Amino acid sequence: MIISSERPERWDESTSFGNMSEADLDRLLSLSPFKEIKPDAFPKRLPLRGILQHDTRLRKYSRGEIVVRQGDHGTSAFMIISGEVRVVLQPELPASILGRKDTVRRSLFRSLTQLWSNSKNPETRQPHELSLGDEVASRQADGGEVRVVLQDVPRVLDRHQTAVIEAGEFFGEISALGRIPRTATVFCEKDAELLEIRWQGLRDLMRHDKNLRQRIDQIYRERALASHLLTLPLFNALPPEKLEKVIASAEFLTFGEYDWSGDYKRMVKSGSANASDKEPVVVQEGDYVNGLVLVRAGFARLSRKFGRGQRTLNYLGAGQHYGLQEIAHNWRKKNSTVPFQNTLTAIGYSHVIVIPTAIIEELVLPAMPVAQLPPLVETTAQAGDSTTGAMDADMMEFLAEHRFFNGTATMLIDLDQCTRCDDCVRACAATHNNNPRFLRHGPINGNIMIANACMHCSDPVCMIGCPTGAIHRQTFEGEVVINQATCIGCQTCANNCPYEAIRMVEVRDKKGRLLVDKDMKSILKATKCDLCVEQFGGPACQRACPHDALVRMNMGSLDHFAQWLK
Amino acid sequence: MRISRKTQWAVRLFFFVLASVLLALWFKENIAALPRATYLTGWLLLTLMVILTVYNGRKKIPFLPLATSKGWLQFHIYAGFFTLLLFVAHIRFRAPTGWFEGSLALLYALVMGSGILGLILSRTFPKRLTTRGGEVIFETIPVVRRSFRERAEALALQSIPEAKASTVADFYAQELAGFFSGPRHFWQHLFEVRSPLNRLLKKIENLNRFLNDQERDVMRQIADLVRQKDGLDYHHSLQLTLKLWLFAHIPLTYSLLIFSVVHVVLVYAFSGGAR
Repeated sequence: MIISSERPERWDESTSFGNMSEADLDRLLSLSPFKEIKPDAFPKRLPLRGILQHDTRLRKYSRGEIVVRQGDHGTSAFMIISGEVRVVLQPELPASILGRKDTVRRSLFRSLTQLWSNSKNPETRQPHELSLGDEVASRQADGGEVRVVLQDVPRVLDRHQTAVIEAGEFFGEISALGRIPRTATVFCEKDAELLEIRWQGLRDLMRHDKNLRQRIDQIYRERALASHLLTLPLFNALPPEKLEKVIASAEFLTFGEYDWSGDYKRMVKSGSANASDKEPVVVQEGDYVNGLVLVRAGFARLSRKFGRGQRTLNYLGAGQHYGLQEIAHNWRKKNSTVPFQNTLTAIGYSHVIVIPTAIIEELVLPAMPVAQLPPLVETTAQAGDSTTGAMDADMMEFLAEHRFFNGTATMLIDLDQCTRCDDCVRACAATHNNNPRFLRHGPINGNIMIANACMHCSDPVCMIGCPTGAIHRQTFEGEVVINQATCIGCQTCANNCPYEAIRMVEVRDKKGRLLVDKDMKSILKATKCDLCVEQFGGPACQRACPHDALVRMNMGSLDHFAQWLK
Repeated sequence: MRISRKTQWAVRLFFFVLASVLLALWFKENIAALPRATYLTGWLLLTLMVILTVYNGRKKIPFLPLATSKGWLQFHIYAGFFTLLLFVAHIRFRAPTGWFEGSLALLYALVMGSGILGLILSRTFPKRLTTRGGEVIFETIPVVRRSFRERAEALALQSIPEAKASTVADFYAQELAGFFSGPRHFWQHLFEVRSPLNRLLKKIENLNRFLNDQERDVMRQIADLVRQKDGLDYHHSLQLTLKLWLFAHIPLTYSLLIFSVVHVVLVYAFSGGAR
């Protein structure tokens, strides 16, 4: 007799996340809010107990341990089971406490000192570069996880305004669901037991429990949505009462897989990275225009039927939207309405906000000057809210297939100009410990090569899971850099990076001797392009190219790319 | 609106030529008649040559804020051409006399010639490499070549027990072993001559009539490797040339500078302040 398993696939792949024993589960289900959740509301294949077993884990934190750091990209939310934690309000904790490094651009004199101070050996580190400082330490928790510990909690409490989060309360849910950086740092003042809920579990709990959904939706609307909408030109001129109406009507949807990096690597290996037909559909071409789709996080592909497949027209990143042209057309031409002209699919992962058509028609369109209204659908050659300029379809498919639109500083090389002189590689090595941080090699489309260099992604999956916060953004939405002092060589970032732009290196002292730990194993550090944040004058690779063949470009704007291609 | 790079280049060249002609006319009218005009052009020439030489040093210190390499190269090209004007004015439109003057002029001509050659190569070879495809990093070419050779040898050996005949292996040993053993047809690739590849493929085609189906399949795979190896040789020839011309240009430049300094010393030592 064959017995088929009813367990969902994602639990098969991810049993390592949950660590719940039956006794733990019973205890959890006796606590609020889980005791109020009705198990009957959950489908048989996705029971409440199953979600808690596979998508949550209990974690014990000791005094001073940092739970989440401001600016980190986290994939899970937390609920306090016992004890309490503190969230830092203001002023923010300094970078050194968060395991990061305040990078300062070198002065002219410091640039000059490199003439004689640069080591001749590769990957050398000075003692001060590897020193943690006396404000923090690292500690190995149960299970081998490394945690950063604040050495002087009273001092932190004295100098920074904090708030207490008590047992039964959630934190980190906005970041987990919206894939946006953590907005504050949370640490333990006393020993505490926390329940970590990964985003898939939180999503399913919200889907089947109305109270939890309302509670988190409310937090989302209050804390995240208003500030996000105000950053968009479409809404920032609306008076507060109208904006409140927009916020109240908004619907949040998540498509695809949060940890798309692993999926993408598997797809590349199997040769199906461009399988747009497998991408979750956000909006279908030909469907009734039910709302304006705002991409809050992740990426979406805009495509149109062509032959038996879909031809990519554009891709949308965070802050971009689709559907306004169709809504505006229908609003102006009530007798000749049109459906969605294109299909919008999630590439990897997309978190979108849908504002109903009626709200746009009532509040947004009347407030827009006529000149700013999008053109009627019939009058444009390319439907969609973004134009692709001079980009040909082939290049668009290439960018989407390799997901290069993620880069804010993608290294592009025009092979028609590049003499393969490697001045860029040598310049990189000269400015980075005699070891270039990129390979002058990579996927090619026509005469354009996208070199294997860190692109400083707008969705930096490498930052997910760094145990010490060593990999971080230099500034808000700035360069992604690695603090060598707090990097423990765990390779999490290197394994996460879908573009394989992070390399692990064995570090040496100034005399070229390998540095080893107490077990006589080489000390590994993660290295990658840092966009020469410390250097005077910007990226050395671009500055070193004599033939104007190499540029670092933000692929979020295809217009710039199209212009450069001319 | 952004102007294309080709248009920018054409506009720059036009203005450069126009400026040079105007400058040459102005020089002839106003400067050439001056008593110390040769000293003026000489010092200007030497100064420019020193600045042009410094470009190579700038490449070695990319961490210093010394403007972009692109800017330096543009200056290098235009100022380099401008030295031609200065040089001709400096020698007063006459042929050099004496072995030292002749050597100096010859060195200048070689530096200028190698520079122009480099400019032409760097403007034409990249497009040819891109069009040919099979992008490869120059330093990894020996590794790729070895892998082609090993695959070809394995195929040739594999055919012996399968076909119970050594026809393919013998053909490989006689006709292809040398081809796979190292870079081949350097000059033909440089001048886009395809006949060596066509000859090899013709030989493979001729052999096919003596082979059975299994051997033909092996030979087809070997022919694919021959094409790939030919592409690799193409990259080797062009990329090596793109690197090698600098090995002529730079030592010649330093030689020219040394000769020029000696020339200045000799001029001041023996002219007695005349002219």
